Amino acid sequence: MSEEKKMFLEALRRKFKESPEEKQTKFYIYDGWKQSKRKREFVEAAQKIAKERTVPFYNPDLHLGGIPLGQRVLMPYRLSGTDIYCEGDDLHFINNAAMQQMWHDIRRTVIVGLDAAHTVLQKRLGKEVTPETVNHYLEVLNHALPGAAVVQEHMVETHPGLVSDSYVKVFTGDDELADEIDDRFLIDINKEFPAEHAAQLKAAIGKRIYQVCRMPTLVAMTCDGGTMSRWAAMQISMSMINAYKLMAGEAAVGEFAFAAKHAEVIEMGTLMPWRRARGPNEPGGIPLGYMADICQASRVKPEDPVWVALEAISMAAVLYDQFWFGSYMSGGVGFTQYATCTYTDNILDDFCYYGAEYVKKKYGGFAKVKPSWDVINDVATEVTLYGLEQYERYPALMETHFGGSQRAAVVAAGAGVSVSLVTGHSTAGINGWYLSQLLHKEEMGRLGFYGYDCQDQCGSANSFSWRSDEGLPFNLRGVNYPNYALNVGHQSAYCGIVSAAHGGRGDAWTTNPLIKVAFADKDLKFDFTHPRLCFGKGALREFMPAGERDLIIPSH
Amino acid sequence: MVEYKPQYYPGGSNVAANRRKYIDPNYKLRKLRTISDDDLVRLMGHRVPGEAYKSVHPPLEELGEPTCPIREIVEPTPGAKAGDRIRYIQFTDSVYFAPLTPYMRAWMGHMRYRGVDIGVLSGRVPLEARERDLEKVAKELVETEIFDPARVGIRGATVHGHALRLDENGLMFDALRRFQYDKNKGEVVYVKDQVGVPLDRPIYVGKPTPEEELRKITSQFRVDGEAFRNDKELIEFVQRIHMLRTEAGFDPNKVKDL
Repeated sequence: MSEEKKMFLEALRRKFKESPEEKQTKFYIYDGWKQSKRKREFVEAAQKIAKERTVPFYNPDLHLGGIPLGQRVLMPYRLSGTDIYCEGDDLHFINNAAMQQMWHDIRRTVIVGLDAAHTVLQKRLGKEVTPETVNHYLEVLNHALPGAAVVQEHMVETHPGLVSDSYVKVFTGDDELADEIDDRFLIDINKEFPAEHAAQLKAAIGKRIYQVCRMPTLVAMTCDGGTMSRWAAMQISMSMINAYKLMAGEAAVGEFAFAAKHAEVIEMGTLMPWRRARGPNEPGGIPLGYMADICQASRVKPEDPVWVALEAISMAAVLYDQFWFGSYMSGGVGFTQYATCTYTDNILDDFCYYGAEYVKKKYGGFAKVKPSWDVINDVATEVTLYGLEQYERYPALMETHFGGSQRAAVVAAGAGVSVSLVTGHSTAGINGWYLSQLLHKEEMGRLGFYGYDCQDQCGSANSFSWRSDEGLPFNLRGVNYPNYALNVGHQSAYCGIVSAAHGGRGDAWTTNPLIKVAFADKDLKFDFTHPRLCFGKGALREFMPAGERDLIIPSH
Repeated sequence: MVEYKPQYYPGGSNVAANRRKYIDPNYKLRKLRTISDDDLVRLMGHRVPGEAYKSVHPPLEELGEPTCPIREIVEPTPGAKAGDRIRYIQFTDSVYFAPLTPYMRAWMGHMRYRGVDIGVLSGRVPLEARERDLEKVAKELVETEIFDPARVGIRGATVHGHALRLDENGLMFDALRRFQYDKNKGEVVYVKDQVGVPLDRPIYVGKPTPEEELRKITSQFRVDGEAFRNDKELIEFVQRIHMLRTEAGFDPNKVKDL
């Protein structure tokens, strides 16, 4: 890629206000934390709070016994693919409402098929099910799902103003059935997806009909992911009893309850084993392929699978690295900067587009060749060398990714995404990632930290393995896969490797068409078509989340 | 049994040759400076010079070890014999042509020293050993060609700096400013120990190695030095390792004749 086309240069110039090629600079002259507007704001707020609560609070002068943060430039970050710059602090999920909402929107979602319930209603209970009854039922459930009563007397209910983001919609692959569903309840595949993708999705889903239940964000904030299918199940069964005038206790209703509440439930994430114990719909149980499908960028630019993969990568970085590893697994302030390296300053973008151009020129486009050692070696090696050389040509780039884990993730992500693109095969893509890590280690003589490197140095061996304890089709792996359980800084790229393989093939989804359609929903608070832009808005404090409690707290 | 001839590192480049050289215990590292035993003890900060070694168990002779064939084969190090604590020294190596890289520190250390535990991270390499053994190893690590006063740091904590640009004097960034450049002497001087406790008197560790010399002795590939891309032998070696691991992970029978 020619100098003027390098995508990261503009951000580097703004971050350091020096030539990115400059090899020397000045340190220790930046007045510590005071150089940062955000840190100054933190100090001001903390001093006020400390006075009020009388317990000492945030005081950056305690850092290193009086040597504050900021002996070097506390550089700003550009959200890749946007013109938004922010401070690093703005990308910590606690400081970013958009990141929180992305996670809440995923966690509060369950998909529940309606066909099993309809079958029992018709065959066992003798009820008639028609588009009209379905529409009526959906109206009842939209009343009940946020937390309202539909059957019992003298019930307490939730304030609609607190749960306004809770609703149910449905989708089907059957155009005729879709036409009969009230538009207010329908995720219309024909409207939401490019024609070619819509055709693929409808063929996969067929005549079946699925509900997408969104529980209130406040529930997602105060309960756990395992709550969601239970919340949905209770409100679904009560709404069915109401809508279809069912008896509330006969044995047949037990069968119906299973069919309606449990038989066709699809959680976003599966249960975790005891050592990482969490219920369903927690980040650790969400497969990489589901994350790639939850991202909706492919609806916007299906012709640009690199951009699509980069958007998916940003979501996975936030969810897996910042929320899961950075907080659920590690505790403490978290791993923000492991994660942000993949979605800031257009660095990974540059490496991926370099790889995309390379494979287009050499192999005639995306998904044109089958995986082979020649192709994997060629593409992964070339993109790895390119990435490493950029760090060495531009000292400001090296300084931006000041930790080896950051560089290892970004370089290997470029290699993995590129192999995925050229082969249309995510397992080949992850194999390219592992080759990249080995090359990187020999080139620099360093990689990440102990826990980072471990998986990468044995990863070649499990990339094509299908043995039960280590093998799994790559799309179905995630942080619950044994070797990835400590794998901070990797999952974001892994999600991109899945995305790029299918994007390169022109697929409408990567792993589960139901997940893909469930998030093609304009009423979600988080914009899953443009996650990086959304995170940027969160950083600028321009993102309005759900789950606010103003209605029930003193005015402030 | 066929005589075993170690092959320390593949590759046709000068960097690969340097790697082979440093890993090979038969190569004697060139001594470039002298740091007194007391100063080294101060820099590490584990004990006061002259203070007796603290122990975590009685000397092995007094301890009465169980009968064990491994114990008969392996001679304990002096520190282990005495029951010393395990202590550490930790280094940060700049990406700008420092003599060693983190993995080199581990590979070299494991080939040259007994009783050491070396961890590798991108920005720091802790080496742990029984205290008196550590002091012996540390002496070689600091006094020889593999230590550059400007681009190698002795840092127990707050190691941030390996990937940062150099300062106006050519020194690697150190948030704790444990070391400084003495312009009058043209030498690097430590004013704090490895965890940042101020020293009672400064410790001079010598002049920065000239850039030209660093480029000759470094074990780092860099595109503005010796590019990894040009060492085809090394790249193909890595690709082969990767292929063998992958194939064997899928089906061990596939690699029988490879």
